[in-house]
Amino acid sequence: ILSFFLAPCRRRIISEARNQSPSIFDHPRFPPLKRRMATATYPPPPPYYRLYKDYSENPSSAPEPPPPIEGTYVCFGGNYTTEDVLPSLEEQGVPQLYPKDSNVDYKKELRSLNRELQLHILELADVLVGRPSQYAKRIGDISSIFKNLHHLLNSLRPHQARATLIHIMELQIQQRKQAVEDIKRRREEAQRLLKDAFVTLDGQ
Amino acid sequence: MDIISQLQEQVNSIAAITFNAFGTLQRDAPPVQLSPNYPEPPPAAAAAAAAAADDPTTTAFPEQPKQLSADLVKAAKQFDALVAALPLSEGGEEAQLKRIAELQVENDLIGQELQKQLEAAEKELKQVQELFGQAADNCLNMKKPE
Repeated sequence: ILSFFLAPCRRRIISEARNQSPSIFDHPRFPPLKRRMATATYPPPPPYYRLYKDYSENPSSAPEPPPPIEGTYVCFGGNYTTEDVLPSLEEQGVPQLYPKDSNVDYKKELRSLNRELQLHILELADVLVGRPSQYAKRIGDISSIFKNLHHLLNSLRPHQARATLIHIMELQIQQRKQAVEDIKRRREEAQRLLKDAFVTLDGQ
Repeated sequence: MDIISQLQEQVNSIAAITFNAFGTLQRDAPPVQLSPNYPEPPPAAAAAAAAAADDPTTTAFPEQPKQLSADLVKAAKQFDALVAALPLSEGGEEAQLKRIAELQVENDLIGQELQKQLEAAEKELKQVQELFGQAADNCLNMKKPE
Protein backbone atom coordinates (compact mmCIF):
# COMPACT_ATOMS: atom_id res chain seq x y z
CA ILE A 1 0.00 0.00 0.00
CA LEU A 2 2.82 2.34 0.86
CA SER A 3 4.46 1.73 -2.50
CA PHE A 4 1.17 2.62 -4.24
CA PHE A 5 1.17 6.00 -2.55
CA LEU A 6 4.84 6.51 -3.19
CA ALA A 7 4.63 5.64 -6.90
CA PRO A 8 2.84 8.78 -8.08
CA CYS A 9 5.19 10.95 -6.02
CA ARG A 10 8.16 9.21 -7.58
CA ARG A 11 6.74 9.77 -11.07
CA ARG A 12 6.05 13.38 -10.35
CA ILE A 13 9.61 13.91 -9.16
CA ILE A 14 10.96 12.13 -12.19
CA SER A 15 8.83 14.16 -14.60
CA GLU A 16 9.82 17.40 -12.91
CA ALA A 17 13.39 16.33 -13.20
CA ARG A 18 12.80 15.98 -16.91
CA ASN A 19 11.42 19.54 -16.96
CA GLN A 20 8.01 18.38 -18.03
CA SER A 21 4.81 19.39 -16.24
CA PRO A 22 3.22 16.45 -14.47
CA SER A 23 0.08 15.29 -16.13
CA ILE A 24 -2.37 12.50 -15.74
CA PHE A 25 -0.44 10.60 -18.35
CA ASP A 26 2.19 9.98 -15.72
CA HIS A 27 -0.21 7.98 -13.63
CA PRO A 28 0.87 4.34 -13.65
CA ARG A 29 -2.64 3.18 -14.60
CA PHE A 30 -2.68 5.11 -17.89
CA PRO A 31 -1.49 3.11 -20.95
CA PRO A 32 2.16 3.69 -21.90
CA LEU A 33 3.10 6.21 -24.58
CA LYS A 34 3.71 3.73 -27.41
CA ARG A 35 0.30 2.07 -27.11
CA ARG A 36 -1.43 5.49 -26.91
CA MET A 37 0.02 6.68 -30.24
CA ALA A 38 -1.17 3.55 -32.05
CA THR A 39 -4.79 4.15 -31.02
CA ALA A 40 -4.70 7.84 -31.97
CA THR A 41 -3.52 7.71 -35.62
CA TYR A 42 -5.87 8.58 -38.46
CA PRO A 43 -6.73 5.88 -41.03
CA PRO A 44 -4.45 5.88 -44.12
CA PRO A 45 -5.74 7.42 -47.38
CA PRO A 46 -7.42 4.97 -49.79
CA PRO A 47 -4.84 3.10 -51.86
CA TYR A 48 -5.97 4.33 -55.28
CA TYR A 49 -4.33 7.69 -54.79
CA ARG A 50 -1.36 6.24 -56.71
CA LEU A 51 -3.44 6.25 -59.90
CA TYR A 52 -3.43 10.06 -59.88
CA LYS A 53 0.35 10.40 -59.98
CA ASP A 54 0.48 12.16 -63.40
CA TYR A 55 -2.74 14.11 -63.07
CA SER A 56 -1.08 17.53 -63.35
CA GLU A 57 0.58 16.63 -66.68
CA ASN A 58 -2.10 14.45 -68.24
CA PRO A 59 -5.53 14.78 -66.67
CA SER A 60 -6.97 11.91 -68.71
CA SER A 61 -4.46 9.33 -67.46
CA ALA A 62 -6.28 9.04 -64.15
CA PRO A 63 -9.67 7.32 -63.74
CA GLU A 64 -12.85 9.41 -64.05
CA PRO A 65 -14.92 10.14 -60.94
CA PRO A 66 -17.81 7.71 -60.46
CA PRO A 67 -21.07 8.69 -62.22
CA PRO A 68 -23.96 10.08 -60.15
CA ILE A 69 -26.12 7.45 -58.48
CA GLU A 70 -29.52 6.78 -59.96
CA GLY A 71 -32.40 4.92 -58.43
CA THR A 72 -32.11 3.66 -54.87
CA TYR A 73 -28.98 3.50 -52.78
CA VAL A 74 -28.02 2.33 -49.32
CA CYS A 75 -26.46 4.82 -46.89
CA PHE A 76 -25.47 3.77 -43.34
CA GLY A 77 -27.84 0.82 -43.51
CA GLY A 78 -30.83 2.85 -44.69
CA ASN A 79 -32.41 2.74 -48.13
CA TYR A 80 -32.77 6.06 -49.87
CA THR A 81 -34.16 6.94 -53.25
CA THR A 82 -32.93 9.67 -55.57
CA GLU A 83 -36.46 10.64 -56.59
CA ASP A 84 -37.97 13.06 -54.08
CA VAL A 85 -41.68 12.47 -54.34
CA LEU A 86 -44.32 12.66 -51.63
CA PRO A 87 -45.66 9.13 -51.05
CA SER A 88 -49.43 9.01 -51.34
CA LEU A 89 -51.53 8.19 -48.32
CA GLU A 90 -52.58 4.78 -49.60
CA GLU A 91 -48.95 3.68 -49.70
CA GLN A 92 -48.66 4.54 -46.03
CA GLY A 93 -51.80 2.60 -45.20
CA VAL A 94 -53.77 5.63 -44.05
CA PRO A 95 -57.37 6.14 -45.30
CA GLN A 96 -57.71 9.27 -47.38
CA LEU A 97 -60.43 11.48 -45.95
CA TYR A 98 -60.55 14.19 -48.62
CA PRO A 99 -61.76 13.60 -52.20
CA LYS A 100 -59.09 12.31 -54.51
CA ASP A 101 -59.39 14.90 -57.23
CA SER A 102 -56.58 16.33 -59.32
CA ASN A 103 -57.57 19.91 -58.40
CA VAL A 104 -58.52 19.62 -54.76
CA ASP A 105 -59.62 22.85 -53.05
CA TYR A 106 -57.03 23.07 -50.32
CA LYS A 107 -58.64 25.71 -48.16
CA LYS A 108 -62.03 24.01 -48.07
CA GLU A 109 -60.53 20.61 -47.31
CA LEU A 110 -58.22 21.96 -44.62
CA ARG A 111 -61.12 23.71 -42.91
CA SER A 112 -63.39 20.66 -43.05
CA LEU A 113 -60.59 18.45 -41.71
CA ASN A 114 -60.16 20.91 -38.83
CA ARG A 115 -63.89 20.60 -38.01
CA GLU A 116 -63.69 16.81 -38.14
CA LEU A 117 -60.69 16.92 -35.82
CA GLN A 118 -62.51 19.01 -33.22
CA LEU A 119 -65.53 16.69 -33.38
CA HIS A 120 -63.35 13.63 -32.90
CA ILE A 121 -61.58 15.20 -29.93
CA LEU A 122 -64.96 15.81 -28.29
CA GLU A 123 -65.98 12.24 -29.06
CA LEU A 124 -62.79 11.01 -27.43
CA ALA A 125 -63.55 13.04 -24.31
CA ASP A 126 -67.02 11.47 -24.20
CA VAL A 127 -65.67 7.97 -24.67
CA LEU A 128 -63.12 8.43 -21.92
CA VAL A 129 -65.86 9.49 -19.53
CA GLY A 130 -68.39 6.82 -20.46
CA ARG A 131 -66.71 3.78 -22.04
CA PRO A 132 -62.98 4.14 -21.30
CA SER A 133 -61.98 0.83 -22.88
CA GLN A 134 -63.02 1.92 -26.41
CA TYR A 135 -60.50 4.71 -26.76
CA ALA A 136 -58.31 2.93 -29.32
CA LYS A 137 -60.60 3.38 -32.32
CA ARG A 138 -61.08 7.06 -31.56
CA ILE A 139 -57.34 7.60 -31.20
CA GLY A 140 -56.85 5.84 -34.55
CA ASP A 141 -59.39 8.16 -36.19
CA ILE A 142 -57.75 11.25 -34.73
CA SER A 143 -54.31 10.17 -35.84
CA SER A 144 -55.51 9.47 -39.37
CA ILE A 145 -57.06 12.95 -39.48
CA PHE A 146 -53.69 14.41 -38.45
CA LYS A 147 -51.92 12.38 -41.11
CA ASN A 148 -54.36 13.62 -43.74
CA LEU A 149 -53.80 17.21 -42.61
CA HIS A 150 -50.03 16.88 -42.87
CA HIS A 151 -50.27 15.12 -46.23
CA LEU A 152 -52.43 17.96 -47.61
CA LEU A 153 -49.95 20.54 -46.34
CA ASN A 154 -47.03 18.64 -47.81
CA SER A 155 -48.71 18.41 -51.17
CA LEU A 156 -48.90 22.20 -51.18
CA ARG A 157 -45.10 22.43 -51.17
CA PRO A 158 -44.59 21.90 -54.97
CA HIS A 159 -47.12 24.68 -55.58
CA GLN A 160 -45.17 26.88 -53.18
CA ALA A 161 -41.90 26.04 -54.95
CA ARG A 162 -43.33 27.02 -58.35
CA ALA A 163 -44.76 30.23 -56.93
CA THR A 164 -41.36 31.08 -55.43
CA LEU A 165 -39.75 30.43 -58.82
CA ILE A 166 -42.23 32.72 -60.56
CA HIS A 167 -41.57 35.44 -58.00
CA ILE A 168 -37.79 35.15 -58.38
CA MET A 169 -38.02 35.24 -62.18
CA GLU A 170 -40.20 38.35 -62.08
CA LEU A 171 -37.67 40.02 -59.78
CA GLN A 172 -34.83 39.07 -62.11
CA ILE A 173 -36.63 40.43 -65.17
CA GLN A 174 -37.23 43.67 -63.33
CA GLN A 175 -33.56 43.92 -62.35
CA ARG A 176 -32.44 43.25 -65.92
CA LYS A 177 -34.79 45.91 -67.28
CA GLN A 178 -33.38 48.34 -64.74
CA ALA A 179 -29.84 47.49 -65.79
CA VAL A 180 -30.68 48.01 -69.49
CA GLU A 181 -32.14 51.41 -68.68
CA ASP A 182 -29.08 52.35 -66.64
CA ILE A 183 -26.66 51.36 -69.36
CA LYS A 184 -28.65 53.25 -72.03
CA ARG A 185 -28.70 56.34 -69.87
CA ARG A 186 -24.97 56.22 -69.14
CA ARG A 187 -24.12 55.68 -72.80
CA GLU A 188 -26.20 58.65 -73.84
CA GLU A 189 -24.57 60.79 -71.20
CA ALA A 190 -21.12 59.69 -72.33
CA GLN A 191 -21.98 60.51 -75.96
CA ARG A 192 -23.19 63.90 -74.89
CA LEU A 193 -20.02 64.65 -72.95
CA LEU A 194 -17.87 63.57 -75.88
CA LYS A 195 -19.85 65.79 -78.28
CA ASP A 196 -19.47 68.72 -75.92
CA ALA A 197 -15.75 68.08 -75.69
CA PHE A 198 -15.41 68.00 -79.50
CA VAL A 199 -17.43 71.22 -79.77
CA THR A 200 -15.16 72.96 -77.27
CA LEU A 201 -12.09 71.63 -79.07
CA ASP A 202 -13.34 72.80 -82.46
CA GLY A 203 -14.29 76.13 -81.01
CA GLN A 204 -10.70 76.85 -80.01
CA MET B 1 -41.57 31.49 -41.41
CA ASP B 2 -43.58 30.75 -44.52
CA ILE B 3 -47.28 30.12 -44.27
CA ILE B 4 -47.18 26.38 -44.91
CA SER B 5 -44.63 25.86 -42.13
CA GLN B 6 -46.81 27.98 -39.85
CA LEU B 7 -49.79 25.79 -40.73
CA GLN B 8 -47.79 22.66 -39.95
CA GLU B 9 -46.65 24.14 -36.62
CA GLN B 10 -50.26 25.00 -35.83
CA VAL B 11 -51.42 21.44 -36.53
CA ASN B 12 -48.68 20.10 -34.26
CA SER B 13 -49.61 22.54 -31.50
CA ILE B 14 -53.28 21.51 -31.75
CA ALA B 15 -52.15 17.92 -31.23
CA ALA B 16 -49.94 18.96 -28.29
CA ILE B 17 -52.76 20.88 -26.61
CA THR B 18 -55.07 17.90 -27.08
CA PHE B 19 -52.88 15.31 -25.49
CA ASN B 20 -51.69 17.67 -22.76
CA ALA B 21 -55.32 18.46 -21.96
CA PHE B 22 -56.35 14.84 -21.70
CA GLY B 23 -53.22 13.93 -19.77
CA THR B 24 -53.66 16.75 -17.26
CA LEU B 25 -57.31 15.90 -16.71
CA GLN B 26 -56.55 12.25 -16.24
CA ARG B 27 -53.76 13.00 -13.80
CA ASP B 28 -55.56 15.58 -11.69
CA ALA B 29 -59.06 14.12 -11.63
CA PRO B 30 -60.43 13.61 -8.12
CA PRO B 31 -61.65 10.10 -7.32
CA VAL B 32 -65.22 9.22 -8.31
CA GLN B 33 -67.56 7.41 -5.99
CA LEU B 34 -68.05 3.93 -7.48
CA SER B 35 -71.17 2.87 -5.60
CA PRO B 36 -73.40 4.44 -2.99
CA ASN B 37 -72.47 1.62 -0.61
CA TYR B 38 -68.94 2.91 -0.11
CA PRO B 39 -68.53 5.61 2.57
CA GLU B 40 -67.57 9.18 1.71
CA PRO B 41 -63.82 9.94 1.93
CA PRO B 42 -62.66 11.15 5.36
CA PRO B 43 -62.52 14.91 6.00
CA ALA B 44 -58.66 14.78 5.85
CA ALA B 45 -58.99 14.77 2.10
CA ALA B 46 -61.13 17.92 2.32
CA ALA B 47 -58.37 19.69 4.31
CA ALA B 48 -55.77 18.75 1.66
CA ALA B 49 -58.04 20.12 -1.07
CA ALA B 50 -58.44 23.41 0.83
CA ALA B 51 -54.65 23.70 1.25
CA ALA B 52 -54.19 23.19 -2.49
CA ALA B 53 -56.80 25.84 -3.30
CA ASP B 54 -54.97 28.43 -1.16
CA ASP B 55 -51.85 28.05 -3.27
CA PRO B 56 -52.15 30.72 -5.98
CA THR B 57 -50.28 28.78 -8.66
CA THR B 58 -52.49 25.70 -8.80
CA THR B 59 -55.79 26.13 -10.59
CA ALA B 60 -58.85 24.56 -9.07
CA PHE B 61 -59.85 21.38 -10.79
CA PRO B 62 -63.23 22.49 -12.19
CA GLU B 63 -61.54 25.34 -14.09
CA GLN B 64 -58.93 23.23 -15.85
CA PRO B 65 -61.26 21.80 -18.52
CA LYS B 66 -62.50 25.31 -19.27
CA GLN B 67 -59.00 26.65 -19.75
CA LEU B 68 -57.81 23.68 -21.76
CA SER B 69 -60.82 23.67 -24.05
CA ALA B 70 -60.46 27.45 -24.51
CA ASP B 71 -56.85 26.87 -25.59
CA LEU B 72 -57.94 24.16 -28.00
CA VAL B 73 -60.63 26.31 -29.59
CA LYS B 74 -58.21 29.25 -29.86
CA ALA B 75 -55.66 27.05 -31.62
CA ALA B 76 -58.31 25.75 -34.01
CA LYS B 77 -59.44 29.29 -34.82
CA GLN B 78 -55.82 30.30 -35.42
CA PHE B 79 -55.52 27.39 -37.84
CA ASP B 80 -58.61 28.56 -39.71
CA ALA B 81 -57.21 32.10 -39.89
CA LEU B 82 -53.94 30.77 -41.33
CA VAL B 83 -55.85 28.69 -43.91
CA ALA B 84 -57.73 31.80 -44.97
CA ALA B 85 -54.42 33.60 -45.42
CA LEU B 86 -53.06 31.00 -47.84
CA PRO B 87 -52.09 32.78 -51.08
CA LEU B 88 -53.35 30.02 -53.32
CA SER B 89 -53.56 31.27 -56.88
CA GLU B 90 -56.25 29.47 -58.82
CA GLY B 91 -55.34 27.63 -61.98
CA GLY B 92 -53.28 24.85 -60.56
CA GLU B 93 -50.12 23.35 -61.85
CA GLU B 94 -50.59 23.92 -65.60
CA ALA B 95 -51.22 27.64 -65.19
CA GLN B 96 -48.08 27.98 -63.08
CA LEU B 97 -45.99 26.05 -65.60
CA LYS B 98 -47.36 28.20 -68.44
CA ARG B 99 -46.47 31.35 -66.50
CA ILE B 100 -42.99 30.00 -65.84
CA ALA B 101 -42.51 29.36 -69.59
CA GLU B 102 -43.69 32.90 -70.44
CA LEU B 103 -41.35 34.39 -67.85
CA GLN B 104 -38.47 32.34 -69.23
CA VAL B 105 -39.07 33.68 -72.75
CA GLU B 106 -39.27 37.25 -71.49
CA ASN B 107 -36.16 36.73 -69.39
CA ASP B 108 -34.23 35.45 -72.41
CA LEU B 109 -35.30 38.41 -74.55
CA ILE B 110 -34.33 40.97 -72.01
CA GLY B 111 -31.11 39.06 -71.34
CA GLN B 112 -30.19 39.37 -75.02
CA GLU B 113 -31.00 43.06 -75.02
CA LEU B 114 -28.88 43.54 -71.91
CA GLN B 115 -26.05 41.68 -73.60
CA LYS B 116 -26.30 43.92 -76.71
CA GLN B 117 -26.28 47.11 -74.65
CA LEU B 118 -23.36 45.81 -72.64
CA GLU B 119 -21.30 45.06 -75.74
CA ALA B 120 -22.05 48.45 -77.30
CA ALA B 121 -21.14 50.18 -74.04
CA GLU B 122 -17.87 48.25 -73.81
CA LYS B 123 -17.02 49.15 -77.40
CA GLU B 124 -17.62 52.82 -76.69
CA LEU B 125 -15.57 52.55 -73.52
CA LYS B 126 -12.67 51.17 -75.52
CA GLN B 127 -12.98 53.98 -78.06
CA VAL B 128 -13.00 56.61 -75.35
CA GLN B 129 -10.00 55.02 -73.68
CA GLU B 130 -8.14 55.03 -77.01
CA LEU B 131 -8.97 58.69 -77.61
CA PHE B 132 -7.90 59.54 -74.09
CA GLY B 133 -4.67 57.67 -74.60
CA GLN B 134 -3.97 59.59 -77.82
CA ALA B 135 -4.76 62.93 -76.18
CA ALA B 136 -2.53 62.09 -73.25
CA ASP B 137 0.30 61.09 -75.62
CA ASN B 138 -0.13 64.32 -77.58
CA CYS B 139 -0.02 66.33 -74.38
CA LEU B 140 3.11 64.48 -73.37
CA ASN B 141 4.77 65.25 -76.69
CA MET B 142 3.50 68.83 -76.52
CA LYS B 143 1.84 68.56 -79.92
CA LYS B 144 -1.13 70.74 -80.79
CA PRO B 145 -4.32 68.61 -80.99
CA GLU B 146 -5.79 68.77 -84.48
